[in-house]
Amino acid sequence: MDVSSFVEGLSIALEPINIMWIIIGGFLGTVVGMLPGLGPATAVAVLIPVTFGMNPVSAIILMAAIYYGAMYGGSRSSILLNTPGDGSAIAATFDGYPMAKKGQAGQALAISAVASFIGGMIAVVGFIFLAEPLANFALKFGPAEYFLLMLLTLSAIVALSIGKMVKGFLAMMIGLALSTVGIDTQTGVYRFTMGFPHLSEGIDFLIVIIGVYAIGEVLYNFLNIDQQKKEKKKVGKVWFSKEQWKRSKWPILRSGPLGFLVGVLPGAGGSIASMIGYTTEKQISKKPEEFGEGAVEGLAAPESANNAASVGAMIPLLTMGIPGSGTTAVMLGALIMLGLRPGPLLFEQQPETAWALINSMFIGNIALVIINILLVGLLVKILDTPAKVLYPIIVLLAFIGTYTLSYSTIDFFLLLVFGIFGLMMKVLDFPIAPLVLALIVGVDMEQNFRMALLSSNGSIGIFFSSGVSITLIILTLLSLLYPLIIKLVNKKRQNSQKDQITKSS
Amino acid sequence: MKTIKMGVPTFLIIFSIVFLIASLNLPKANLGNPNAPIYFPAGLSIIMLIFSVIYFFQELKNFHKENEYIKQILSGRTPKLIGFTLLFGGIYALIFDRIGFLFSTIIYLGALLFYINGLKKWLVNIIVTISFSFISWYAFSVLLGVSLP
Repeated sequence: MDVSSFVEGLSIALEPINIMWIIIGGFLGTVVGMLPGLGPATAVAVLIPVTFGMNPVSAIILMAAIYYGAMYGGSRSSILLNTPGDGSAIAATFDGYPMAKKGQAGQALAISAVASFIGGMIAVVGFIFLAEPLANFALKFGPAEYFLLMLLTLSAIVALSIGKMVKGFLAMMIGLALSTVGIDTQTGVYRFTMGFPHLSEGIDFLIVIIGVYAIGEVLYNFLNIDQQKKEKKKVGKVWFSKEQWKRSKWPILRSGPLGFLVGVLPGAGGSIASMIGYTTEKQISKKPEEFGEGAVEGLAAPESANNAASVGAMIPLLTMGIPGSGTTAVMLGALIMLGLRPGPLLFEQQPETAWALINSMFIGNIALVIINILLVGLLVKILDTPAKVLYPIIVLLAFIGTYTLSYSTIDFFLLLVFGIFGLMMKVLDFPIAPLVLALIVGVDMEQNFRMALLSSNGSIGIFFSSGVSITLIILTLLSLLYPLIIKLVNKKRQNSQKDQITKSS
Repeated sequence: MKTIKMGVPTFLIIFSIVFLIASLNLPKANLGNPNAPIYFPAGLSIIMLIFSVIYFFQELKNFHKENEYIKQILSGRTPKLIGFTLLFGGIYALIFDRIGFLFSTIIYLGALLFYINGLKKWLVNIIVTISFSFISWYAFSVLLGVSLP
């Protein structure tokens, strides 16, 4: 670790203006994240316009704060309403809501905030030690390795859409197809612009992101807008007992590093991290029967894991410029727009930016635990805001965000088109993350592919010429085989259970 | 509902074929390999076609299985809510530059709120419309320095 860069980054993160952005971002992220149906990707997408006009370092700090703020917020509605803000907060409903039903809403909220805080802190420490070595390693990558790394990321994210892999591949292909629109940077050829000069620079991925995540989500939420019931929960004192802490501390400490490692892996995100955290604790618990009935460990473990995963997911983004999830893909898009190019060179050319972000996460986690404990009354009141008022505001924010991208109202129509597209994807159960990820890495993927072939005079041997390339190919194949392996393991487990039942009867 | 179920894979198959034809008809490059800009989109369209056909057969296998979400999207007030949100969005795009951010936003947000939230909540709708339009104008135009019409 470069100590001088660390100190410089710390001093930037501690500037009052950046502390203010951390608090604002954390609060806004918590608010959007806790609204049912709107997760961290939507939170970042909707709030991107807030970063316009800011200096890039403050912008990246703000966006990260929105991201992990949304991770905190997601579990508020899980605990109080049994409605997760997003996928990674689903596990919090298993025991968090039963705790609230038993009159322990305040304890559940406090445990979730403290677990998120500790998980986040563990991950930031991991980030400090892993980020720079990984960035240095990535500096050795050539076009072939970069192409294969992007391929691995895409295949991993598709493979994780278990049960709908074909749809995942189609979403990815559509994303890649959209990325080919515009001038080909290597030859200057116009591709698929259909004569519209507006499309010569390609389809702005931020419009797609805002359309799919913000407009698409709102339209999708119209499906049951009239059935949404108001449920008021009495929160009470937001703190936990000694006994509850005793039961939670080890699950929190175990799930933090686990969630962090899952977050670093391409494709895997908060949802998987929290489920792994939950099932691990259930498996090793002496009282597994209490899980699902309001066991405090069942809430603490996934909360620690998903926050750690959100920090871990920033490692491939910042060190290699490869987003591993839908949310980090949204962040990458916003960063590129702000003139920052995440990747190994970020640590070499702008170490203060990278370290300012890492240090801001420490401050952000402290700010968020305070926000989520002290301001819980206010946050709970926000949950009372009717969806019928919130959704029009979100749609409006999406329009303003789109306008500020290019100052053109033609983009409003594109936004609406991608909004319908997002709605259709949700209704037809297509995963959205592969589309967004493919659209963002598509241009680089094609250019690296062609550059690799150019450097080898057209020989595909270039993709098998180094240890890193071969490892990446093996990992890609394994990731594609992963759903098949899971299926086989489940089948075997079911068969052995059947055998046991037959024997015992 | 079945039209939507089978229509989507059919559309994807047609789209893949059109994308393949369009890829093969792309202009040749003057620099380097003349076909270089064609390979990637052409390859993509072929893979997309294969997956679209698989998807078509998957849907055919589940032809009689009902999709609750498609049912919901076509029932009750939902299609109107979606339709009017999109229509108001289109109108907003047309009036935005002509009458300026503040007025167009008041009209757009007001219309959307009255439609979604209902006429009975007129006071809330008006307060939210006016306060949010001014707050967003102030935040973007004054605080963030974004140039708005």
